[in-house]
Amino acid sequence: MNAVSLEHLSKTYPDGKQAVDGISIALKPGEIFGFLGSNGAGKTTTVKLLNGMLTPTRGSCRIFGLDPAASPGQVHALSGVVTEHAQMYDNLTGLQNLVFYGTVFGLTAADSHERSLQLLTQLELLEAKDTRLGAYSTGMRQRLSLARALLHQPQVLFLDEPTSGLDPESAQNVHSMIRSLAAKQGITVFLCTHQLRYAQEICTRYGLMEEGRLLAEGTLEELRARVCSGMTVRIAASGIPQALSGQLSQETSPGAEGLSHSFRLPVRSEADIPRLVRQFVEDGHDIYHVSAQLPSLEDIYFTLTRKKEETP
Amino acid sequence: MNRQMTAIIKKDINSIVANRRMFLTLLVVPLVLTIVVPSVFLVTMRFAPIEAGEFQKLLELIPLSARPDNLTEAVAALMLNQVLPVFFLIIPIMASSVMAASSFVGEKEKRTLETLLYCPLSLKQIFYAKVLAAFTLSMWISLLSFAVMLVVLETEGWLLLGSLLIPDVKWLLIMLLVSPAISLVAVTLIVRFSAKAQSMEDAQQCAVFLLLPILLLLVGQFTGVLLINGWVLLGLGLVCALLAWILLRQSLRKFQYEELF
Repeated sequence: MNAVSLEHLSKTYPDGKQAVDGISIALKPGEIFGFLGSNGAGKTTTVKLLNGMLTPTRGSCRIFGLDPAASPGQVHALSGVVTEHAQMYDNLTGLQNLVFYGTVFGLTAADSHERSLQLLTQLELLEAKDTRLGAYSTGMRQRLSLARALLHQPQVLFLDEPTSGLDPESAQNVHSMIRSLAAKQGITVFLCTHQLRYAQEICTRYGLMEEGRLLAEGTLEELRARVCSGMTVRIAASGIPQALSGQLSQETSPGAEGLSHSFRLPVRSEADIPRLVRQFVEDGHDIYHVSAQLPSLEDIYFTLTRKKEETP
Repeated sequence: MNRQMTAIIKKDINSIVANRRMFLTLLVVPLVLTIVVPSVFLVTMRFAPIEAGEFQKLLELIPLSARPDNLTEAVAALMLNQVLPVFFLIIPIMASSVMAASSFVGEKEKRTLETLLYCPLSLKQIFYAKVLAAFTLSMWISLLSFAVMLVVLETEGWLLLGSLLIPDVKWLLIMLLVSPAISLVAVTLIVRFSAKAQSMEDAQQCAVFLLLPILLLLVGQFTGVLLINGWVLLGLGLVCALLAWILLRQSLRKFQYEELF
């Protein structure tokens, strides 16, 4: 059974704004799905639809076969949600907040207390457990929200920009926690972000959104194959071989202290690289750097959005 | 009611009680109405003896069998059994209105509502928990005010008038049926407004403007009813309880998550 499935899901708000337009996605348990797009792309609306906060205008969605609009309570028991709009109580301490939400999620007071301490330790918040939430920094709040979403051991985790406001070390900690949750506990992660580099680090599949539409969906390899497959080679050398002068795009001109130029050249596969290097050497140039580069998620996203703009 | 709803009720009540300034403000009006006002009345009666003519019209309204022989005692009984019960129709509504008004919109403003909505409770259960939290607080304050009022008045009656004031059996109906029923009607209406309101001010204004006429109407009517017999009071109490039940059920019709965003 799919953990999350969306079929032609659409949402038009009463003011006429179409926030989500015919999205179809199916996620297996244990996947980390990066739902990517700029602000206003429809990511948060989709999360609300998947949690029954909004009712679809057309199409449908399911969480482990359950319709969120018809059985929101059952869906909430299976899912944990972290969004910037879902905050906790400033007048309660970190521990009090977690114990309260644990109880509301059906744990006994003792279990809720124990689980809260466990998560506070895991997210490096144990020292601040008796501090009122009002005195927490943005990063600490964010980590506490993640702890809150994990209290009832959900099977699906919806994370909306989970590392915004976190320092690099905490962000790294949260990344490894998300990876471990998916790998060891089989939790499906639905990660909404506009930070494409961050998404590329931890996600196993991606959905690229713009203005409510799903531009493309798949693994990085699938997206590369579909959108921009070309591999490029970056070479830093003392000069350009005569035969290649027309094909190379120069990135940098030689600096004052050295004679190296940086070039970028499209190739079909890694098999083309030795031939290319040989041409530089045979022409008597020194080579300082050679690296093969595949299109990043950013390259794919911008290629897609450009294509869309060019389409009349 | 399950454990999850109890947790919400406790959290809501604790947040009001922990806010000392707000909690003391909530207690001021009940204390003034149930301690200061009757105390002033008793002291005045003790030190400025009353003429029979001044209260004759009112005393005539009390059934002959229930009228004490002594004029001072009769007037004190009139105050205790005909005037003070009316305050207990107002106190629970006033005590719960702030909490009820902030129930949904307060959480919305603090951005905690969405977190609560993501819990595995139905919207109906969250609504009931919010209503019950405000209702419970109002009943606590009401019962506390009643207990403090009785202790203070009996002590003052004994010291100033030399006799205890006997509460009428109608107090039982007021405290156990009429007052809770009216309070539940008010709390349900205010919590429902709170769910629709966009800001705290909006919810509080709605609470005042919509409830004030209802309150005045009820107070006016019950002042008369208190002078009639207990069965009519019981009947009216039951009507109010039925109204509260209908309102509670009707409020949840067409109540959807989408309305709260």
